[in-house]
Amino acid sequence: MRKNRRIGSRFLIGLVFLFLYAPIALLIIFSFNEGDSGAVWKGFSLHWYASMLRNRLIIESVYMTLLVSLLATVIATFAGTFAAIGLYSLPRRRRDALLTVNNIPMMNADIVTGVSLCLFFVAFFQFWGGFARWFNDVQTAVRLPERLTLGLGTLLLAHIAFNIPYVILNVAPKLRQMDRNLMDAAQDLGCTWMQGFWKVMLPEIKPGIISGALIAFTMSIDDFVISYFTAGSSTSTLAMTIYGMTKRRVTPEINAVSTLLFLTVLILLVIVNIGEIQQERRKRNASPQDVPLGEKLRRFFATRAGRYTQWGLTAAGAVAFVLTVLFLTRETQSIPVVNVCSWGEYIDTDLIDQFEAETGIRVNYQTAESNETMYSLLKSGGADYDVIVPSDYMIAQLIEEGMLSELNYDNIPNFQLIDPRFRNLSYDPENKYTVPYTWSTLGVIYNPTMIDEPVTSWGALYDERNAGKVLLINNSRDAIGEALMYLGYSVNTTDESEIRAAYQVLDDASRRGVFQGKVMDEVFQTMEGGNAAIASYYAGDYLSMLENNEDLLYVIPDEGANWFVDAMCVLKDAPHMEEAEAWINFIASTEASLANMDYIGYASPNMEALEQYPAYYEELYGEPMDPELYEIMVTPPEVLERCEMYENTPSDIRALYNRLWIQLGI
Amino acid sequence: MNRKLSLFALPYAVWLAALVVIPLVIMAVYAFTTSESAATLENFTDMGIYASVFVRSFRLAAIATLVCLLIGYPAAYFMAGEGPGFQRVALALIMLPMWMNFLLRTYSWMSILENNGLLNQFFQKIGLFSLLTSMTGQEIESFQMLRTPGAVTLGMVYNYLPFMILPIYSVILKLDRNLLEAARDLGANSAQVFVRVILPLSLPGVLSGVTMVFVPSVSTFAISRLLGGGTQMMLGDLIEQQFLGGAYNPHLGAAISMVMMVIVVLCMALMNHFGEGEEQAVML
Repeated sequence: MRKNRRIGSRFLIGLVFLFLYAPIALLIIFSFNEGDSGAVWKGFSLHWYASMLRNRLIIESVYMTLLVSLLATVIATFAGTFAAIGLYSLPRRRRDALLTVNNIPMMNADIVTGVSLCLFFVAFFQFWGGFARWFNDVQTAVRLPERLTLGLGTLLLAHIAFNIPYVILNVAPKLRQMDRNLMDAAQDLGCTWMQGFWKVMLPEIKPGIISGALIAFTMSIDDFVISYFTAGSSTSTLAMTIYGMTKRRVTPEINAVSTLLFLTVLILLVIVNIGEIQQERRKRNASPQDVPLGEKLRRFFATRAGRYTQWGLTAAGAVAFVLTVLFLTRETQSIPVVNVCSWGEYIDTDLIDQFEAETGIRVNYQTAESNETMYSLLKSGGADYDVIVPSDYMIAQLIEEGMLSELNYDNIPNFQLIDPRFRNLSYDPENKYTVPYTWSTLGVIYNPTMIDEPVTSWGALYDERNAGKVLLINNSRDAIGEALMYLGYSVNTTDESEIRAAYQVLDDASRRGVFQGKVMDEVFQTMEGGNAAIASYYAGDYLSMLENNEDLLYVIPDEGANWFVDAMCVLKDAPHMEEAEAWINFIASTEASLANMDYIGYASPNMEALEQYPAYYEELYGEPMDPELYEIMVTPPEVLERCEMYENTPSDIRALYNRLWIQLGI
Repeated sequence: MNRKLSLFALPYAVWLAALVVIPLVIMAVYAFTTSESAATLENFTDMGIYASVFVRSFRLAAIATLVCLLIGYPAAYFMAGEGPGFQRVALALIMLPMWMNFLLRTYSWMSILENNGLLNQFFQKIGLFSLLTSMTGQEIESFQMLRTPGAVTLGMVYNYLPFMILPIYSVILKLDRNLLEAARDLGANSAQVFVRVILPLSLPGVLSGVTMVFVPSVSTFAISRLLGGGTQMMLGDLIEQQFLGGAYNPHLGAAISMVMMVIVVLCMALMNHFGEGEEQAVML
């Protein structure tokens, strides 16, 4: 009977491990997949590892993660240890009060900590800006930077802030256990305080410090939420990069990263455990259960494996130091830089390399999900972009709010190549702020093998017969705009009742379970994999999807559609104005426009590129381009007639959009 | 110990004020003002329309916590009864996934749960769908699993289960074996020993496990975003939307954060009221 129970209990534990490890095993298996799917096996290959190593974003974020975690751990361990010593010499009442505050970050949800720190930093930057301006005015000897943004500094502060409590929590019990007379005795015997600290106190509390440091490091490495709110746009930890990747077309590069991470940790754990077992064999000590972690570590460090690890830790410290020095030199070296923010899958990445090689300017290329999220990022102080590529209506809003800077078109000679019909458009009537990047339409993409009738109306998105097969676009302007078009209203209506009617259409469909989900760039994966039948998205992206799923069709519904221009602009007070204009000029050139058209499937506003593209295509692929596809890419004028461009709406209408949009999700 | 040492506490007190207290105060200020920085209660009174998000978050988090407890307690209990070698390996295996980023672990479920994902492919292979089709007469090609409340709950259970097992395990390990023997000597059978001795004594571990699962679950936005596909909005998503998402309004976001914080603190205080122990197990 006893034996049966043991088998039963092991069975349960086995099931728990199966549950914990099956997804990880799959992740690892599919990192060796030849194809790019996470569900269909196409043969063994290592090429995702190769492409991961070439992915600058991944490499840089691994570097950033290590840098921040190591630095934060070192600083937090140091500060936390002394804070704990200080706390334990305080009278009880005051100590308990401080410890309560100390526990707040551990008790609070991460998102609350992240949000409150983000608001704090931004408030501080505003205060600092005022102070620095005043200070720079009254004297000329020292110039203070007036514009601070979220970045490595704030990220590091945030990590230190949530690490210190863990260090204190681990050091404190050791201090409690220590005989208070020991230090006094040491000093009576002639030690200075410093000597007493090194020779008496430190050895006593060392296990607590080590375990505190380890927990702090783990917390730092694993953190996503707090980093997400405090790192700003130009600094990205691995977790943030992974989050960004899951929102776009997911490549098995992620699987490769996770496999490497997993193996590293596995090897570390095995080493630690072997060391422990060796130690126990030697000492024949009691079972490991009543030994605290700190003691375990101390014993572990006494073994041979432990000594190796200790060297390893020392090496890690050295690496952190070197990384910091490297980072600081890289920052202070005046390599010209330009920070660009655009959409996902929206540039031929070779162009970045080409630009860097030609000009020596380093491009930090980042992406945002939609106009609305980019606006949030700009407003919340998290963005330090120079060049952004918003759409028409958002440009108008940014101009209205005074957030863009006027361009010097003398530095952008290629602006002359822009087709006149894309100049002086309603969002920038005098064309002082923008150089158009692409133009395209928003239509319906569908998979005819999954539904019975061809789509001709926006109504298909809301049709109960397609329940569970429709993807709603995940931004308020497009989603509500589509419903407005479906109802026959203008997408630029300021009539509240019309907007509410459009919302009602979406809400009804949502309640009837028509929408499978709300997506932006996740649409690629979902539509290509045949996981949904209908989605509304942009014509250019349809052409990219077609390469992976030939069944898909694109249609501009009978009610008409939205056509849009995305244009490059420079933010007000951008620190790299000159580099920004060089980038814009490069991208507006005919060669870059042609490469981009081919890569991303969006039409360029460059007149020469528009004319030359069919020939360019034929030369590249050895066959002429399908005229139907060309018409989807370069929308003919008679179709554009039926399309309406978004315009900037008054702020109360924007607030209504926001409110309705959030309401739709609940 | 030297009185002067208390000076070390001073910088830390300043630090705590700057990076813990003041940020929370600023958040409160945001919550009670409008974008024109006029004082208002609107951010709170408007919150009624989000009641369903609050309900969903707390419901899914509660379910996830309960499931974690139901799986985690027996697992921890059985683990503690095994030999030291087994325990060591099991412990390492439970902590190992925690070192891998939770986004990766969550992401791996996406390819399992998709309509064309591994689980549905498996059902297809074993003929489940043709069976169901012939039984119900309706054509069923796949189960919609991704982008459902179930998927989000699964994601929470999967990510936070170790946080439940570890504290319970370490509390059970530290139980005085003599107590159990004494109970048996006094005539209690195994069930009675468990219910009247082990269970009450392991309560601190359970409470800290519940906290460590519930708090991150109720405030998550990445799990609901990845596995819920934007259809299962949780409090975390609602807050994220107001700060870095598609509906910029930090004042409302701060107000929601505050309400969430207060509710969570109340829940935790209520729980700690019933079982006195708390700290300890957090450190393992």
